[in-house]
Amino acid sequence: MIRVWSGMNGKDGELMTTIDIPGVHTEQGLKTEDLVVNIGPQHPSTHGVLRLVTTLNGEVVKDMEPVIGYLHRSKEKMAESRSYFQYQPTLDRVEYLSSFFDHYVYVASIEKIANLKVPKRVQYIRMITMEMNRITSHLLWFGTFLLDLGATSPLFYAFREREDIFKLFEDVTGARMMYNYYRFGGVNADLPPGWIEKCRQFIRTVPQKIDEYEAIVTKNPIVLDRTVGIGRMDYETCMRYGVTGPSLRATGIAQDLRKTNPYCCYDEIDFEVPVGKHADVYDRYLVRMAEMRESCKIIEQCLDRIPGGDTQNIRNKQAEIEEARKIAKEKGEDPKAIPDIDPDWQYQGQKINLMTYKPPAGEAFMTCESPRGMLGCYMVSDGTPKAYRVKWRGASFSNLSVLPELMIGNLYPDLMAIFGSLDVILPEVDR
Amino acid sequence: MSEEQKENGKEPAANTPEKPEAGASTQPAEKAPAAKPAAPAAAAKPAAEAAPPPPPPAGEFGKALEGAGIPVSHLGPDAEGIERIDIAPADLLRAGEFLRDQSQFDLLLSCSGIDWKDRLESVYHLYSTKTHKSLAIKVTAVDEHSPSLMPVWPAADWHERESYDLLGIKYDGHPNLTRILMPIDWLGHPLRKDYKVNDPRLVWNER
Repeated sequence: MIRVWSGMNGKDGELMTTIDIPGVHTEQGLKTEDLVVNIGPQHPSTHGVLRLVTTLNGEVVKDMEPVIGYLHRSKEKMAESRSYFQYQPTLDRVEYLSSFFDHYVYVASIEKIANLKVPKRVQYIRMITMEMNRITSHLLWFGTFLLDLGATSPLFYAFREREDIFKLFEDVTGARMMYNYYRFGGVNADLPPGWIEKCRQFIRTVPQKIDEYEAIVTKNPIVLDRTVGIGRMDYETCMRYGVTGPSLRATGIAQDLRKTNPYCCYDEIDFEVPVGKHADVYDRYLVRMAEMRESCKIIEQCLDRIPGGDTQNIRNKQAEIEEARKIAKEKGEDPKAIPDIDPDWQYQGQKINLMTYKPPAGEAFMTCESPRGMLGCYMVSDGTPKAYRVKWRGASFSNLSVLPELMIGNLYPDLMAIFGSLDVILPEVDR
Repeated sequence: MSEEQKENGKEPAANTPEKPEAGASTQPAEKAPAAKPAAPAAAAKPAAEAAPPPPPPAGEFGKALEGAGIPVSHLGPDAEGIERIDIAPADLLRAGEFLRDQSQFDLLLSCSGIDWKDRLESVYHLYSTKTHKSLAIKVTAVDEHSPSLMPVWPAADWHERESYDLLGIKYDGHPNLTRILMPIDWLGHPLRKDYKVNDPRLVWNER
């Protein structure tokens, strides 16, 4: 039964008439039926290939089941038929937006098993590249998240800076996105001469650029309407589903492996872990924006503290030593009395033959704080040139599993805001 | 974690072999930590070479579990320094509840299945957001069956489904144990070591 009132706003006026068509109208109003909608697998806003089997009642989501596996490329099976070094380039495709992190956990787990020494310069190069990669990853998230909400221009602003960082990466690794730069106990090549100064000049401009984005977005009434109070996820929910990363920090927990279990040289760097308060979509946005600023701070400190400084400086020092040894030899003195270059200044710890490299038997579970949460690599080696078992713990895999819980009972238009705020990347989910 | 490492540092530094060649034996990985005593110890007593390797040191959480009356076999720390323990399937849920409530492990990071050719094993990696420590629990499946940890950590849901999908470990008590990454009508479990990659029945795209 539907009651028709004379006033403008529902029950303000007096009851004029009632409409009652049996089977169509119920006591609560118009009768509705559940409708099952397949969202995806090909959908512009799913950031990959994801199918959501959604039961809708009107605009309200009654049930949702994510169907994953469309991008499964059997990365873990591939490790069984490739040597450690041959497997490494395929890691760029596990998570193509922040692949330095995948390389880091893979390389570091082998370094732990084999007890390889990693020079300090390498640790700093890794920290610089990883933090810059975090900025590019968050920038892409920033652009696409707002694109999902209907704003097109932030994407172009975000890609402008992202492209600048890619140019810096291209100088170092030779590739824009598929880097394959880290090696067991080192990196592939030293930084190009003059790169540190170039990077420093660029990084100083980034906080102003972030101010520019925030000026458009942070206080924008449309963004506030669509994000504040939407998709609340408390700490217990995060733990129930294994959610980590910025989504966990938006609940107010400062859980960041860089701070709590420092790896590389993060314990020598001064930085803060941004946390949120209300654990909604808007707070996740704020946490990520603050994280980009922190990354800039980390990179600046790393550039100042990197052992050896600019590569040209190291080359000059090397030439000096060689010159001094030559003179010593001519004089008839022992050239070996002149000390070698500081081992911490080198970009490769110990010379190893990569193609035939095999670590001893053992196992290690390495974790690091990727832009999406805790990324883990469980490596089991049996002493042969091929890994016995490699297991990837992608942060997106757990972060995606919470989506039904957040969506059930919410409106369908909020799906893109909530799903976008989790920053899920499907190649990492399916591996 | 640092405390743990210090404690283990007193034991023979067997968990991380000194040189890549030192531990290049072909035995299974979890026996490796105790397989070779540290170089100084071996040099002092060459006769001890034939003696069985010393048992791995008991870690903090393994001891706590034993104190609560739950039998545990200690496997020592892994190369990263994470304590590893082996728990019988019958005691798993009890141990899980103890670790969650007493040792504050609130986050289940992953469940990895391993095919050791003669047995299937699940490795659960736990992390505590309160104490920032990690722990690895190993459970050997009996006839491909292993209890599910979902009643303790609901986060195990998708991870156990993945392990079932790729290795065929059946988790008793899991409410929805179906394939998750592979197509729903796929044959076999791809990460098994005896899995045939070129089986004509598996040409999925040409059916």
